[in-house]
Amino acid sequence: MLKGHRRIAERKAIVFFARLIHGLLILTLVSVVCGSMALAESRVVKVGVYENSPKVFTDESGRPSGIFIDLIEYIASEEDWEVQYVAGTWAEGLERLEKGLIDLMPDVALTTEREKRFSFHKIQVLSSWFQAYARKDSGLQSILDLNGKRVAILDKSVQQEAFTRFSRGFGLDTKLVAVADYKTMFEMVAKGDVDAAVTNQFYGSMHARKYGLVDTAIVFEPSALFFAAPKNSSRELLEAIDQHLDYLKKDTKSAYYATLRKWTSEEVRFRLPVWLQVLGLIAGIVLLMSLGGSVILKNQVNARTRELKQINSEMEVRIIERTAELALAMEKAQSADRLKSAFLATMSHELRTPLNSIIGFTGILLQRLGGPLNEEQEKQLKMVYNSARHLLSLINDVLDISKIEAEQLNVVSETFNLRETVEKVIKTSQPLAENKNLKLTAEIAPEIGLMKSDRRRVEQILLNLVSNAVKFTEQGFVRMKCEIQNGKIVIAVADSGIGIRPKDMDKLFNAFQQIESGITRKYDGTGLGLSISRKLANLLGGEIRVESEWGKGSTFTFLLPREGEKA
Amino acid sequence: MKGNILVIEDNEQNLYLVRFILEKNGYTVHAAMDGQTGIDMAAALKPDMILLDIQLPVMDGYAVARNLRANPELAAIPIVAVTSHAMVGDRDKAMEVGCNGYIEKPINPDTFMSEVERHLVVK
Repeated sequence: MLKGHRRIAERKAIVFFARLIHGLLILTLVSVVCGSMALAESRVVKVGVYENSPKVFTDESGRPSGIFIDLIEYIASEEDWEVQYVAGTWAEGLERLEKGLIDLMPDVALTTEREKRFSFHKIQVLSSWFQAYARKDSGLQSILDLNGKRVAILDKSVQQEAFTRFSRGFGLDTKLVAVADYKTMFEMVAKGDVDAAVTNQFYGSMHARKYGLVDTAIVFEPSALFFAAPKNSSRELLEAIDQHLDYLKKDTKSAYYATLRKWTSEEVRFRLPVWLQVLGLIAGIVLLMSLGGSVILKNQVNARTRELKQINSEMEVRIIERTAELALAMEKAQSADRLKSAFLATMSHELRTPLNSIIGFTGILLQRLGGPLNEEQEKQLKMVYNSARHLLSLINDVLDISKIEAEQLNVVSETFNLRETVEKVIKTSQPLAENKNLKLTAEIAPEIGLMKSDRRRVEQILLNLVSNAVKFTEQGFVRMKCEIQNGKIVIAVADSGIGIRPKDMDKLFNAFQQIESGITRKYDGTGLGLSISRKLANLLGGEIRVESEWGKGSTFTFLLPREGEKA
Repeated sequence: MKGNILVIEDNEQNLYLVRFILEKNGYTVHAAMDGQTGIDMAAALKPDMILLDIQLPVMDGYAVARNLRANPELAAIPIVAVTSHAMVGDRDKAMEVGCNGYIEKPINPDTFMSEVERHLVVK
């Protein structure tokens, strides 16, 4: 007993001295630091919070919580920052970040677009990806199985956009159901309202089992998640985060791995108080066992960490494999598309050769070079001639559109006189207009002259606009106006024709679409002309705009950069 | 007699068509069905104009034009390229190798003569 008392007294003394020395040391340190650094008070760091458990969210007691929060708390304590949280939705968070109202936003996937708006540190906090979850019996194996299926997706999210792009790449007809939150999405899958739901892997791996759902092999858009800071803010915060991450990620016992274990282990759910009790109990046991069992515990922790690391690396390998498979499938689809375009281009070329003879010989016969013709013969030959020319223009259109789609259509830049081109277009279209008793005129401003662009393509666009105007105008006029506005060449083609209904405006420039004119099949043509013209205009750095009033007429305006117009 | 025109063209129907139009308009037509024959005939005949198909077997029209332009005796003879390529860049390429003009196939009988005569310098 006495021995025991003495020992306790000795220990108390040792502890007292240790504390004293410790306190003195801190005092000395603080005075040294204060003396050397004038600005040693802690810096306030405002951090955005939104709901995306377990990465970042507000827990039941209203405190910010999750992997990103643990991490920033740790770094803040090391760096002596004072963290202030600003809660809101994801969109609000990004907006506040952009305006500089907060210093950091957690859980931001790095994209090229975001890199322009925000600053990022270099070492990723987490990698994540989107994955589809379905009922156990769904039989969904690959992205192709989603054809004709209903898939729930987070409304206005990156994954909504990514999935649309992704499924379109495979030509799938998947019905997307936009839902406001992940929880509702899983409930809908469980009830059978939809066939699958797309969430990020953190949410999915944590909550899917609760709804009786399993993960499918449909995985896409791997992303690296970071803290983002306002653009042009000082890099001091980001550099500090990088320094800590670098250090934390090297040590499997660090706070980083501790928070990953905490938030991604399955037995841990959102009942924080219970969890705290359990932890307290464990801590007690650990304390008791620490004398003898620290080695065992250490081994267990290490084993657990290894296990986690292995799961992580296995998942990463799976992602890499999946991505490679997808890339291959995409490549196949694209090469088939290129083959189709090359086939079309060759076919169109081969088709033009025999047309050469048909147009050439009917042409010389019509010119009476082969001898006199009677009225009936002339009428019939004209039909052959016109049909052949029509066929030729169709083939040219198909050739153009396939070249544009195969991205093989190149434009040249040459100096030519725009005035001559406009006059030529008017001259070529004049007979068509006269046939319909339309007044076709051109008003060319005096400053229009030499310009630099692709002469043939400019002519093709103008011919298309004028012939369209003539085609869809029964009486009145077609007027061309050519001038320079704000340094751009502006060519407007106005007509007094049938006009376009507002609801048809969207369809106007689609390939193979001719707007329902109200008079069935009155207007022939492939419906390719405007689509080609718009694409050509874009290739030339210009654009085509349209204004129209149903029943009154339309104005198509072709804007073109003048680039060395007086060169 | 309006002038001599050398037509270098491998397709019989096209050759017939061009010959027919030119002869009906009073020109004398000499025909070569391949590039080398065309070059030899040009040197021997010294025509007033050469109509040159670009898509020729063995030696294409660009090579023929380059060869013709390399001979100073033939330097003044206008060469007009005829091609169904109708591709952007073909026109520039034809001009680059020394052609004076460019007619696109299919030949349009309504405009063919005026296009030919634009480049023809009658002696």
